[in-house]
Amino acid sequence: MIPLYGFIAMLVSLPWAAGLFRRVAHRPAAYLNILLTLLAFAHGSLILQEVFQSGPVDLSYPWLTVADLELDISFSLSLTNLVALELITGLSLFSQVYSLGYMDKEWALARFFALLGFFEGAMSGVVLSDSLFQSYFLLEMLTLSTYLLVGFWYAQPLVITAARDAFLTKRVGDVLLLMGVVALCSFAGGMGFNDLYAWAATDSLSPLAATLLGLGLIAGPTGKCAQFPMHLWLDEAMEGPNPASILRNSVVVTCGAIVLLKVMPILQHSPVALTVLLVIGSISAIGGSLVALAQVDIKRTMSYSTTAHLGLVFIAIALQIPVLALLLLFSHAVSKALLSMSIGGVIAATNCQDITELGGLGSRMPATTTSFLIGGAGLVGFLPLGGFLAFAQSIELLSVRSIPFMAVFLITNALTALGLVRVFRHVFLGDALIKSRRAAEVNWQMALPMVALCVVVLLTPVLLVRLESLDGLLAFPLWAAGLVVGSGLIGLLAGALIPLSKAWSRSLNPLLRWFQDLLAYDFYTERFYRLTIVNVVAGFSQLAAWFDRNVVDGVLHGVARFSVQSAEGLKLSVSGQTQSYVLTVLVAIVLFLTAVSWFLT
Amino acid sequence: MLLSLLLIIPFTGALGLLLWPTAQSSERIRIGAIVILAVQCVASFAVLLPFDPTDAALQLVEKVRWVHSIGLDYALGVDGLSLPLVLMNAVLCLVAAVASRSIENRPRIYFALLLVISGAVNGAFLSQNLLLFFLFYELELIPLWLLIAVWGGANRSYAATKFLIVTAVSGMLILGAFLGLAFVTGTMDFSLRPILSGELGLPAQFLLMGALLIGFGIKIPLFPFHTWLPDAHTEASTPVSVLLAGVLLKLGTYGLLRFCLGLFPEAWQLAAPWLAGWAAISVLYGSLAAIAQTDMKRMVAYSSVGHMGYVLLAAAAATPLGLMGALFQMISHGLISGVLFLLVGVVYARTGTRDLNVLRGLLNPERGLPLTGSLMIIGVMASAGIPGMAGFISEFLIFRGSFQPFPVATLLSMVGSGLTAVYFLLLVNRAFFGRLAIAPGEVVNPRILDRVALREQVPAIALSLGVLALGLAPELLSNLSEAATTGLSQLSGGLS
Repeated sequence: MIPLYGFIAMLVSLPWAAGLFRRVAHRPAAYLNILLTLLAFAHGSLILQEVFQSGPVDLSYPWLTVADLELDISFSLSLTNLVALELITGLSLFSQVYSLGYMDKEWALARFFALLGFFEGAMSGVVLSDSLFQSYFLLEMLTLSTYLLVGFWYAQPLVITAARDAFLTKRVGDVLLLMGVVALCSFAGGMGFNDLYAWAATDSLSPLAATLLGLGLIAGPTGKCAQFPMHLWLDEAMEGPNPASILRNSVVVTCGAIVLLKVMPILQHSPVALTVLLVIGSISAIGGSLVALAQVDIKRTMSYSTTAHLGLVFIAIALQIPVLALLLLFSHAVSKALLSMSIGGVIAATNCQDITELGGLGSRMPATTTSFLIGGAGLVGFLPLGGFLAFAQSIELLSVRSIPFMAVFLITNALTALGLVRVFRHVFLGDALIKSRRAAEVNWQMALPMVALCVVVLLTPVLLVRLESLDGLLAFPLWAAGLVVGSGLIGLLAGALIPLSKAWSRSLNPLLRWFQDLLAYDFYTERFYRLTIVNVVAGFSQLAAWFDRNVVDGVLHGVARFSVQSAEGLKLSVSGQTQSYVLTVLVAIVLFLTAVSWFLT
Repeated sequence: MLLSLLLIIPFTGALGLLLWPTAQSSERIRIGAIVILAVQCVASFAVLLPFDPTDAALQLVEKVRWVHSIGLDYALGVDGLSLPLVLMNAVLCLVAAVASRSIENRPRIYFALLLVISGAVNGAFLSQNLLLFFLFYELELIPLWLLIAVWGGANRSYAATKFLIVTAVSGMLILGAFLGLAFVTGTMDFSLRPILSGELGLPAQFLLMGALLIGFGIKIPLFPFHTWLPDAHTEASTPVSVLLAGVLLKLGTYGLLRFCLGLFPEAWQLAAPWLAGWAAISVLYGSLAAIAQTDMKRMVAYSSVGHMGYVLLAAAAATPLGLMGALFQMISHGLISGVLFLLVGVVYARTGTRDLNVLRGLLNPERGLPLTGSLMIIGVMASAGIPGMAGFISEFLIFRGSFQPFPVATLLSMVGSGLTAVYFLLLVNRAFFGRLAIAPGEVVNPRILDRVALREQVPAIALSLGVLALGLAPELLSNLSEAATTGLSQLSGGLS
């Protein structure tokens, strides 16, 4: 039914094709990559059609069998997974065309595309994966490719720390996840999600073990989705090339959330883990959107709002509403991708990321401006686009479950709207400042995907309605819609009415200034980490090194010195009388053997 | 006869090189050594043909009475545990010879010693007689000591002496344990077989096993017997480091599995919880100490301390999966540390330093070492256990195999795996990222950074491919050894 060959070829060729061709020349590698992504997208939609008609399919191939461990390569071609796959390949396609324009003069274009291909392959694998082991496997590959993509311009100092932090933060999450995976594998035997669900339904774990397991499992996605307290990397990762930021802000975080979604049934047994998930989600949602308000770097405003929206997804997953999580993920991914593209356009045109130094781009860059508006509209629950549907649906579902979290959703919505309007006013309205005076519209390679994605965002409601699994999407009551629009409007008006001075980035009022700094420095999280974790590890490593040099080696040298000195001493007692030597040796042997026999009997 | 061939080829080869007329250039001697080692490689892989991977027992056994009165017989045999190590030995010795360019100082002796090491290590892996094992175990010491003491760096005499004395102590302990075994069992039979409690009281078992443990612990090396390793690595030349980390440390872990676990399964089982704790300490200590290093070679050396700790952890658990992981870790560590030492060697040859406080921006495409940097990223990622490469498989197998008996020690070792990422990331970030120093007065003089010819990187590329191949198709190795590791695990009754 499903041509396996094509599927495998797709997954295998995506990550590697570019790598193989990168020595030939730059452009062909890029074109080849785009072509392969296009093929992947087309093939994916063919499979989607089939699955649409004849139901989901599971594929499994044995990979490694050792003793009692069986690891398979398994894919689950369900509707949700395939939609996610299409989202990934589609957005990847867009951002690859986009990078043709954005990275036009880059000397290492082929390397960039190779990494993008690797990135895309790993992501496609994650969403289709049907086994926790495989998901872990691919998530780690994502960690590696994020590191390499963020570190793409490795000669710049900020990039170095950004790449390091991205890798290490994710790695912390991954190691905790690995602990969960290993534990789960030992308890449950199999690693396929279905085996795990079956095991979870009949599990007899102690609450402590279940809690630790749950915490391990959520740590990985927390790192991937840049959730509090592992959110710093996404912000710093903005130092990397923008086309990769597009993917990172939209689909990479989606991958993390999808893994979390897949382990959701296992988490059910650990109330603590679910509570932690809710706390993480709420802090990230509100904290993230607040911090976004105080940023002056245009890309950072976006990254914090990504953290905020994924926080909402975490809440949805913790409350066991997978439909809502998917809805939020989908609408967020397309809109955020569009917003990131538009911002990339601004950066490409002005070579500036500081919103206080930009202005008046609206008339100069109409396509970019439109993209920003549409992307923002798609993200915020205000106009009847994806974001609105997702928010309205959340309000309806949450109103029966939990009023406080409904409030979190509404506040996040209002704050996001506020933040977007703030950025819009700074960058696109007002007088043109020095740095934006000579800005011109972006080239067609960048404009084309932007416009195309605009259409996608505008069509999101239609797409969502077409997916049968999300039926009943428009069945939310009017008051829910009213609340969403209301919160969006509050944010919008607040953003539009607050006086905008260039001093906005640093107020003169001490109290306000303190608050602003608090947000601008992300509640001083980075400083906190440097003072705690980093210092502790560094301290211990220095201690170990000192111990090594002085104690371990010290003892060794002491023994050496002792033997040399005693030899020097004994030298003086040399008499030349063989009898005395023999006597000494004999006495020693007798003593030794006595000691040994005494010990043994 | 095939197994004896694996000893005959390198030993006669070494003799041949020594008798080769002096007029030959070092390059021709190197090629001669490469040819011999390539033949050795072919012969080693030829063992795969008659080898039956489904059989846990010893195969291709060769037995000749030798000095039978003291129990020393010439007995060789191979099983799924030793075969992969023999193959790796062949490959890494070949790599070391290929990487030994520009040996101007007594090249004949240098390459002859390399061949002697190759043969001695093979002998140790293949011996089925305790005394014969000991002979080969000691035989490999002297050439290595000479290789460090004669062809080493500035502080070579200290490092070589330290290496010689410390590992000689290891040899003494092992010999003592073997002789003690004969003394308490009252037989002169040094053939390899499990000693059960019916035969020997537990205190005696513990005493003998303890001596073996410390003896092999020095070789592996485990904390606190490890300090000889960073010194030896720092002073050894690149190919010698490759051999030291890749092959010689494996003698220790092999001894651990074959003799500690294999001879005293009962005592081992009782000591296992303590050993797991020791393993976790060794892992964490090695990793933390590695973070503080500024010399690239020392950093890699300390990472060996950490990564060899995993082997002890898995050996302590002694589950079939864990032992497979232990073997996998020996092989992947051999290949990965080979890659890392080769690349550090390239950096050192080009820049004249390995100091992470000095090196910057080596990934620079024009004046830097981009290929070296890219391979280095693969190497450190493999070492940090990123999936798709051999390191991940071994770590996963070890952790999964040891989690049930020793959850806490396993979780602590996983933290060590996370710390690996920290120090190797520091290495890549400091030395390869950033801006290449361009001022002529600075230590990294761009004029020295000649392009590295692709052929110079062939060994590192080949090993990297091996790492990737084992990472993507782990069954290549696991099928070969599963019967043997399962058999060894059953010996101790397996704790799970």
